[in-house]
Amino acid sequence: MTTLLAALGVSHRYGDRTALQPCELELRAFETIALNGPNGAGKSTLLSILAGALDPTSGRVESAEQVGWAPQRPALYGKLTPRENLRLFARLDGVQPSSTDLPDRPAAQLSVGQRQRLNLALAFLGSPRVLLLDEPTASLDSERREELWARIDALRAGGGAICFVTQNPDEVERANRVGWIEDGRLTLP
Amino acid sequence: MRTIALLLQKDLRVLRRSPLLLGVLLAYPLVIAGLVGLVASYANAKPRVALVDEDNLPSEITLGGHTFRVERTIDRVAEEVTLVRLDGNEAERQLRSGRIVALLRVPRGFVADLRSMARSPRLELETTRGGLSVRVTQQVQSLVYQLNRQLEDAYVEANLEYIRLLIDGGTGRFLGQEFDVLGLERAEELLDELPPGPRLDRIREFVRVASAALAETDDALRATANPIELVETDDEGRTWVLSAQTQSYALALTISFLALLLAAAALAAERDEGVLARLRRGLAGAGELVAAKASLAAAAAVALGLGIVLAFGAIIELGGVEGGQPWARVPLLVVGLALAGAAFGSLGALLGALARDARTASLVAILAVLPIVFLGLVPREVAPAAAYVSDFFPFAHALRFFTASLFDLEPLNAAAREAAWLVGLTLLFCAVARSAVQRLS
Repeated sequence: MTTLLAALGVSHRYGDRTALQPCELELRAFETIALNGPNGAGKSTLLSILAGALDPTSGRVESAEQVGWAPQRPALYGKLTPRENLRLFARLDGVQPSSTDLPDRPAAQLSVGQRQRLNLALAFLGSPRVLLLDEPTASLDSERREELWARIDALRAGGGAICFVTQNPDEVERANRVGWIEDGRLTLP
Repeated sequence: MRTIALLLQKDLRVLRRSPLLLGVLLAYPLVIAGLVGLVASYANAKPRVALVDEDNLPSEITLGGHTFRVERTIDRVAEEVTLVRLDGNEAERQLRSGRIVALLRVPRGFVADLRSMARSPRLELETTRGGLSVRVTQQVQSLVYQLNRQLEDAYVEANLEYIRLLIDGGTGRFLGQEFDVLGLERAEELLDELPPGPRLDRIREFVRVASAALAETDDALRATANPIELVETDDEGRTWVLSAQTQSYALALTISFLALLLAAAALAAERDEGVLARLRRGLAGAGELVAAKASLAAAAAVALGLGIVLAFGAIIELGGVEGGQPWARVPLLVVGLALAGAAFGSLGALLGALARDARTASLVAILAVLPIVFLGLVPREVAPAAAYVSDFFPFAHALRFFTASLFDLEPLNAAAREAAWLVGLTLLFCAVARSAVQRLS
């Protein structure tokens, strides 16, 4: 199967502390990878490096595809409404903005769940083939959670690839492969 | 450019939706500018000077036919200091404690010397060693100069009395002694009664020339007493508070605070909201982010600066102040506002990147702006080192640009020089800030 995204020997250090040991990861078409592990193990660091939001201390990330990213903590402008956030990031990315049914008020005034929905909507901007999601279902109600999995399944079925971080055993079962990270060391079958 | 424009548009929208922040950002620098103005005006405050009258000055003194009311004369000439009447011991005590900055003593015999008009009476001045002593000495010198001007008419009049006595003859007084003088006119009459001869003709010629010369003494004596006279007239010129220099200071101070704080907080806020990482994914480079913050600061500086200029202009025009506001210079001023805003904005972006969160960035910006401003206020003649350091910050250049724009007859050379400095500093700070943002990410 085609590799859509590959991490080649990436590692990361925060000062003296090693957050991620050198590791390899290939994300192929029609694949979902779940990353699991204890708190502070390096899961979010790896996902941020894969997304290009964090420079690796060593190694590199290769991808020819549009990559969508939803960080664990929603990364959006609190003073802008959901529509304005979507429009701004779409224009910066040169893609078409998507519509939203979220309330038309500043994002800072939304509920935690609504902010997470906006965070995910930003990840889906431009219909990327690769999705990197850090605990995507956190704060979502069951209906929205099912909607999200339906979109993820549709993307995978269409030849896309998804890598997500989760602490939920039920969600782990949705993945084709499960990676375990502990003390910055990735184990991926 | 498109990315910078999009980020700038977003920042302006965020700013518009933060009315409290906007209000504080607008009001704070204006309050600071006002307070600095008040502190600066202390330099013009009247220092307290003790007047120790050991000679019991009379309420009136008559000299050469002129009567002086002592209290009124002192009040009129002591416009630059607040004179406080104290006895000698109390004045000495207050001088030591610093409650007064100088002691002006009228020693015994002052009035007698004054009335004699034959010997200069003396005033004694003691000052503290503080920074104001030089100024007070100058002001007391000015006071004595003005007293002398008040007295000079009386002295000239008294001397002219003696001249008239020499011409007309009669009874006069000098140093308490009364005496009779023949006078040149009566001398001429007596000469007519003498037998003619060449020696008498020579004496008669001398009397004639002396009479003619002494007749011209009036103007000459007045001119000698006052070789150059300064005629002071009140005009309709700008008051200090409206002067071009005050406008320049208000603009430079306001923009320094506004642009530095705004850019520092705006850049740090990108990180606070977690958006910096998202932008780094190819949406906006570190340089574009810094340029957007510098542009935001420049836009805010132009808007607020124009507001200040319009407010000053309206007051000047409504007050009918002579000269008016130099409206034709406003476009040049706008260029200066934008350049100064961008320079401070890029420095603010650097502070925002180094401080990492918006609250720390705001605090660091406030801590940084005060020394930058005060460094820029130190005259080069007073502390050359401070001036050289200040050259590497935008405040002094902005101040000189604004002063040239509002005041100089030919402002372009000075404005171009300061504009070059501001552009250079903007590029330098942008480059360092870009590197700091990359490390921040």
